[in-house]
Amino acid sequence: MKSNYIKIFLMGAAITSLLSSCGDSWFARDPKNILTNEQIWNDPAMIKSQLANLYNRIPQLHGNFNTGGMCETDDAMYCGTLDQNYRNELRYRNDYGRWWDYGFIRDINMSIENIEKYATEISEESKIQFKAEFRFIRAYIYFELVRRMGGVPLITTTLEYDFNGDPSYLRNPRAKEHEVYDFIYDECEEIKSQLGNAGSQTRANYYTALALESRAMLYAGSIAKYNALKTPNIVTPGGEVGIPSDMADGYYQKSLAASREIIEKGGYELYNKEADKGVNFYKMMMDKTGNKEAIWVKDYQNPLKVHSFGYDNVIHHLREDNDNSSCIGPSLGLVEAFDYLDGTPGTLRYKDGDDYIVYDTPSDIFANKDARLYGTIIYPGTKFRGQDVDIQAGVAIWNDATGSYDLLTDPNLGSFYTDNKKFVGLDGPQTNTPNVSNTGFYIRKYISEASGYTLRNYAENWWPWFRLGEIYLNAAESAFELNDEASALTYINKLRERAGFTANSLTTLTLEKIQNERRVELAFEDHRYFDMKRWRIADTTWNGNEDNDKAVVYGLYPYRIAKAKPGTQDQNKYLFVKTRSERFKVARTFQQSNYYAFIADDVINNNPSIVKNPFQ
Amino acid sequence: MICCLASISSCSYDNFDEPKAMLTGKAVYDGEPVGVRSGSSEFALFQDGYALHGSIPVYIAQDGSYAINLFNGEYKLVRVGNAPWEKPSNDTIRITVKGNTVQDIPVTPYFFIKNVSFAKNGKAIQATFTLNKVVSTANLEDVSLYLGSGILTDNNHKEAVCSLGKDVSLEQETTAEINIPDKLANETAIFARIGVKSDKSSEYCYSQSIKIALN
Repeated sequence: MKSNYIKIFLMGAAITSLLSSCGDSWFARDPKNILTNEQIWNDPAMIKSQLANLYNRIPQLHGNFNTGGMCETDDAMYCGTLDQNYRNELRYRNDYGRWWDYGFIRDINMSIENIEKYATEISEESKIQFKAEFRFIRAYIYFELVRRMGGVPLITTTLEYDFNGDPSYLRNPRAKEHEVYDFIYDECEEIKSQLGNAGSQTRANYYTALALESRAMLYAGSIAKYNALKTPNIVTPGGEVGIPSDMADGYYQKSLAASREIIEKGGYELYNKEADKGVNFYKMMMDKTGNKEAIWVKDYQNPLKVHSFGYDNVIHHLREDNDNSSCIGPSLGLVEAFDYLDGTPGTLRYKDGDDYIVYDTPSDIFANKDARLYGTIIYPGTKFRGQDVDIQAGVAIWNDATGSYDLLTDPNLGSFYTDNKKFVGLDGPQTNTPNVSNTGFYIRKYISEASGYTLRNYAENWWPWFRLGEIYLNAAESAFELNDEASALTYINKLRERAGFTANSLTTLTLEKIQNERRVELAFEDHRYFDMKRWRIADTTWNGNEDNDKAVVYGLYPYRIAKAKPGTQDQNKYLFVKTRSERFKVARTFQQSNYYAFIADDVINNNPSIVKNPFQ
Repeated sequence: MICCLASISSCSYDNFDEPKAMLTGKAVYDGEPVGVRSGSSEFALFQDGYALHGSIPVYIAQDGSYAINLFNGEYKLVRVGNAPWEKPSNDTIRITVKGNTVQDIPVTPYFFIKNVSFAKNGKAIQATFTLNKVVSTANLEDVSLYLGSGILTDNNHKEAVCSLGKDVSLEQETTAEINIPDKLANETAIFARIGVKSDKSSEYCYSQSIKIALN
């Protein structure tokens, strides 16, 4: 027995020694799921991976194909499933637009510090370039913070708690609102020549930094000017909210200088490949090859990284998936913002006193309009993917007894009337149906016409963060505010030429004209809410008043005249009715407290030095 | 088997009783309730002593009253913005809630309408009122008369409005008329209200919504 134990023991010892002699390396393997800082920050591929993660997390309010968000201003209503109907009953809550992600800021600061600390094996130029790119993202993030919240704590290092029981040294106060804008400018000026990435449209380069200056300085200038003019009570004593009005000109000048440099030296061009200016404006967003308008985009690629904007919003009867579609219902207000090409204001002519104006075809009422209308919005009588759209709300029957037209509708899309002609179009509109337009309009911008691309999780067209069209508008506005109307007109007219207008279509300029131009050029590009705020016209325009046409999203419903008024040739022609969808319950209500979102209670509890926003 | 049943019956996640104490009251100035636009104004309520320190919104009804269901305890009420009254700097009101508690909240509206009466005068409603300025640094922007088909009548929801602008004298009795619109002409009763707006707030301060019989 004893000898057996000894044998087993010896056997065991032998095996163990065998294992350990060939197994030293087995115990000293590198972990496959843990990366050290030394590994990451010395490998350019890993650093790029970190950059990609940060680029991907850049926030938006109504952008980056956020269908629901795009339905929360006066440009559109929500026509999708009923569970999201709160978007049509919207009184902007006190926390609307709130964003306060200091975890993101910390990740950026940590990246910058770690490159400094750990990167010993990559070149000095690489280190400078990467740090500059991290700083660009940080500057952009501070822009997102300041335009939603006002002045915020300016943190540029990682904050660590020492666990000594007193965290008060971590309680940084809010910087002044103008200090954040100044920080953004100073950062961009310092890093612009270090960014490299020349020619890149997806990574930050010299002109991306200038584009951020162009936009951010314009915002600062208009807040300085219009807060004093229109809402002087929206300030905090310490300057966390409220930019002194005497700083306005300085900001406008900085914005104009940056815009000019991009326009004159950046090598960008307003996209103009197509002869048909409507198709051109549409393709400007869809064409990824040789598109010199895009300055900085968020790119997508099927199947690696896709989005579903087409699936969400394609016109109803041309959808390719079995579900969804039609969510964004552009408003009559937006459609009427597009001027006529002869320069007259874009109000549609559908009524003459009490009488309807009759049109031969549904698209005739939209004839001779700014070509950007075609590129942005699908209206009755036009085409998508080469096929006719079918937008008809119902039929109009002349009623001899009342001396007016009766308007009849039907719940079935694509139905036929007793005269065997179309009753309700395949694409609606219907006043209360989900996933069909409730306004009589659909969105065209951003939706691919290529086969398959309106299936869910399939689209790969990019999201424009910055494009040259906006820079022209920024230049026009800042020049105008600096009393250089001549320059402002040059920029705006150039943009309008691309939209189908003749050269020098405008000879005088007002702020309202610039505001309108911005609305139609940048529709659904995540500008409207922020522009209305910085001009300080949001609370008076979107005042919650049900009688206020600018606060209510209306539609325009086309009806085929199935029985014409006697004595006219109007049989089977079309009339249009301004209609408010049953689903649009509440006029947009923006209060003065919405100019700066309320800061969350838990933020203030953690850091009592945070001054509350006005009205909070 | 019996053990299982026993454990199920004794297992209860939600073992708090619901709050039962009603805190009610109204926003008052000079002894009178202050009317507001429905859905616009709030107070904020805080309670110390818990890990989470978020505020509880107290919604103010159009007649200035509020009601909120709470647990018994000590609360702090704060007057916040978006209302037609001042947001005072030393603004905390401590309230002890024990059972049903009534607490009126004093507010300082920028302008205030007193001694309001309405009378039907042919096809119009005649309003008599006195406009008082309460906060000296506030400037008058508008006084308007409103008619509505329901009690919720204000600047955003009305069937008729007559704006008197800034041309209303302070501290003296003013009379003004507003025509009854066609769409209300056949009603048995309509509601009338007067609103006043200063440049200090985006909201109007309203008189109470008064029902007027039309026949």
